[in-house]
Amino acid sequence: MTSIAGAPSAVSLKAALRRRHARRGGRSYAVLRWVAAGLFVAILLGLVVSVAIDSSQALAHSGIGFLWSGTWNPAANEYGAGILVVGTVVTTFVAMVIVVPVGLGMAAFLAELAPRWLAGPLSTAIDLLAAVPSIVVGLWALLVLSPLFANYVEPFFKAVPMLEWFFHGPAYGPSILLASVVLAVMTLPTVVALSRTALKGVALQDREAAMALGATHWQVVREVVFPGARSGIAAALTLAVGRALGESIAVAMVIGNSPAVPHSLIAPGATLGSAIVNQFAEAAPGIGTSSVIALAAVLLVLTLAVNAGGQALLRGIRPGRAAKAAT
Amino acid sequence: MSANSGAVGGAGTGFGLGDGDATWSWAARERRRPIIQGAARRTLGRRRLKGKLVQGLCVLCAAIGIAPLVALVYYTAQRGLAGLSLGFLTNAPVPEGISGGGISTAISGSGEIVGLALVMAIPVGLMAALFLHERRGHLAGAIRFGADLLTGVPSIVIGIFAYALLVRPLHHFSNLAAAFALAVLMLPIMIRADEEAMRTVAVDLWEAGVALGARRSRVARSVVLRGALPGLVTGNLLAISRGVGETAPLLFTVAAPTFAMTLLIYTDGTQPFPSDQQTAWATALVLLLFVLVLSGLARLIAWHLTRRAR
Repeated sequence: MTSIAGAPSAVSLKAALRRRHARRGGRSYAVLRWVAAGLFVAILLGLVVSVAIDSSQALAHSGIGFLWSGTWNPAANEYGAGILVVGTVVTTFVAMVIVVPVGLGMAAFLAELAPRWLAGPLSTAIDLLAAVPSIVVGLWALLVLSPLFANYVEPFFKAVPMLEWFFHGPAYGPSILLASVVLAVMTLPTVVALSRTALKGVALQDREAAMALGATHWQVVREVVFPGARSGIAAALTLAVGRALGESIAVAMVIGNSPAVPHSLIAPGATLGSAIVNQFAEAAPGIGTSSVIALAAVLLVLTLAVNAGGQALLRGIRPGRAAKAAT
Repeated sequence: MSANSGAVGGAGTGFGLGDGDATWSWAARERRRPIIQGAARRTLGRRRLKGKLVQGLCVLCAAIGIAPLVALVYYTAQRGLAGLSLGFLTNAPVPEGISGGGISTAISGSGEIVGLALVMAIPVGLMAALFLHERRGHLAGAIRFGADLLTGVPSIVIGIFAYALLVRPLHHFSNLAAAFALAVLMLPIMIRADEEAMRTVAVDLWEAGVALGARRSRVARSVVLRGALPGLVTGNLLAISRGVGETAPLLFTVAAPTFAMTLLIYTDGTQPFPSDQQTAWATALVLLLFVLVLSGLARLIAWHLTRRAR
């Protein structure tokens, strides 16, 4: 200790105290925190690197054409993600067509219209729906919804004259449409919860200003509340899209798993996630496995891009609003 | 201004009060007042009717949105209860296509996987959250962003990662690999929830602890963790309820479907035999009850927390 050599000054005493503290447990605690943070970063990077390395063999085999090639034929050693990407995008899009009006309508109901005694329990119920495991949703869709779709819903859509271009062919039950409905059910809680928060966050003065101009409740909601909550709603929808793109097991149960060009919404199809579920076990070691992992890589890139966008939107809200409040 | 909002100001009735309006005067304004009021009054019925229609649509949306939850819980309970018994929980599974048997191995397997995952994820999550809590700057921001991104990574990709890291090199499927996959899945949720809970503890308390000369670790334990405890429990329970219900990561890591409840539901539910589907329903009911109880518990704690804060 330095204080022993000379007269103990206040400065050296402080330094000695600090060192003693650092030695007794303070340091191991700091090390532990760093290790935990480092471990987490390592997992993040490891995930990306591992998937990239494992899919490199497939990309070397199929070339960059893997991304859009339409054939998935393990018997002929031909692999391509094209149809699966199309299937993923189509199911997600149809799911959003269902979930956007229903989810936003429900969020508006919860945030604007519902009395307190109803809004609370309904919000809790929606949160509970978010907790239902995807496998249970998949089981319900496969054993309950699928027969209903085959016997009633799909024939009904086929009978509507203008829609026959979207809905033609035999009605099996398992189909792109059913998979989209499942995705809609699973993403609904995300959309409702986040949009509701965004709608509630619109400043009271803005509403009052519109009301003072003589606007009816609906005009206030339409002209003031929804525009004010725009970025929050956009973030909610983006995150829901990310979730819909990545769902695999429930989709694999109800989509029928036929990697063909989707010509009709009631025809079976396949998505990236469902193909990974179905192909992984029977993939040939080497190129086969690597190609399935390459599908996971494509899925990872897709979802990372969408989620990064959603997070950027979410982060953009707070500073924006703070700045508006400050002026 | 859109046609809808136009009715409020009376636009479309042929007058404006803009800056460029040369005829503006108090007298002109007073002359216009009855016209504006008349327009607003005339359109009020139409506007109110439109509002009522949209309200009806919103109620319909809420009903459509809540219907799947009701139907799902109803069918799972109805079909699951038929197969549920004490024996079902304690007996070992029988081969496919044969009726009878239980899911004891699946319950214990799921318990083991989730337990192992928690042993891995909770300490790392807590320490990483403390790291974020006591640190500002780019590194903390980057880790936060990374956690949010990892939350959005499809669980099946995480399953592939666990397969590449722990199954292929060791040449056998294991609960350890499955637990690792679930831990990776839960970790980002835990980190964010833990940090959020720690943020509710007043900074003054932390500063007071440090000013008393206590070590950082001691302050973290006695002030931050204790103060944030209800929030920590809530966040971790929600993360667990997500981990318990995951299926996709287990596909590539668990040795047999009878070793995890979710996998058992997947394989039995996709069989054509009614006895297997019965097993799947009953297992789904057990799983659903477990998950709903977990997240209900988490919500209850959170509710208590906010009530106490008030």
